[in-house]
Amino acid sequence: MQAKLAAGFCAAILGVFVATTALAHHGWAGQSTEDFTLKGKVSKALSLSGPHATMQITDEKGQVWDLTLAPPPRTEASGLKEGVIPMGAEVSILGKRNLDPQKFEVKTERVTYNGKNYDVYPDRVPSPSK
Amino acid sequence: MRELLTWLEASGLGQAMRHAGVWSYGVANLIHILGVATLFGSVLVLDLRLLGAFARAPLAAIAAPTVPLATIGFTIAVLSGSCLIVTNATEYIGNPLLLIKFPAIGLGLVNALVLGFVPAWRDRSARDLTARERRQLAVFGGVSLASWLTALACGRLIAYW
Repeated sequence: MQAKLAAGFCAAILGVFVATTALAHHGWAGQSTEDFTLKGKVSKALSLSGPHATMQITDEKGQVWDLTLAPPPRTEASGLKEGVIPMGAEVSILGKRNLDPQKFEVKTERVTYNGKNYDVYPDRVPSPSK
Repeated sequence: MRELLTWLEASGLGQAMRHAGVWSYGVANLIHILGVATLFGSVLVLDLRLLGAFARAPLAAIAAPTVPLATIGFTIAVLSGSCLIVTNATEYIGNPLLLIKFPAIGLGLVNALVLGFVPAWRDRSARDLTARERRQLAVFGGVSLASWLTALACGRLIAYW
């Protein structure tokens, strides 16, 4: 009885692992490995709440892009705080685009505004600013 | 679901979470994990006992620490989990894992509440249980383990959807 129970429990845990691997879109696995750059105007201001900081920009064709930045403390440590970039401001970003072409989402490593680079993932960008 | 999540995000708690500093989500997440670990750890030991494992330890001796610990863990998980979901509730619109997680929690709760009325469970420290009663309790243990394992797995995977 005990051996059967242990085996059943291990099988359940294994099942969870398999499901996790298949769904691993959190992190970088769901993103392209190619660098992706984009220019646009801020259409939803930076939010430092939740598991990751987020903002939205709209490109010149009117496409709205969801930007997923680093976790809030790390994003703030790059100097990018709520209120630093005003709504409608022109920014450019560097990051990795979502592999799903239907999703206009970029995991963003660097935000450039007003000539200043905000490297929210300094270990992932070329020549980080600090 | 859309209306409920929109309302949750606009709630006072949601606004408070979004203005409570950059560490608020991380700290609430930490507390949630502590609550879930306490709940699931206790439930795992008790449910395996109900299913027939660790039979040398009397059921009453195992129930004594695990039941209150599971209750405390559940309370911590509900309070911290409420803080997590209201922060950006509308992000979960259309997330099917949410629709599995909460019914699984409901099933786990109902199962525990009904177990509280089962004579075999109530008499656990007063007398020896019959084989039939032990099988009856094993069903509750199995349902409990399945529901909490489902809730745990879906809860973790919500972020990956």
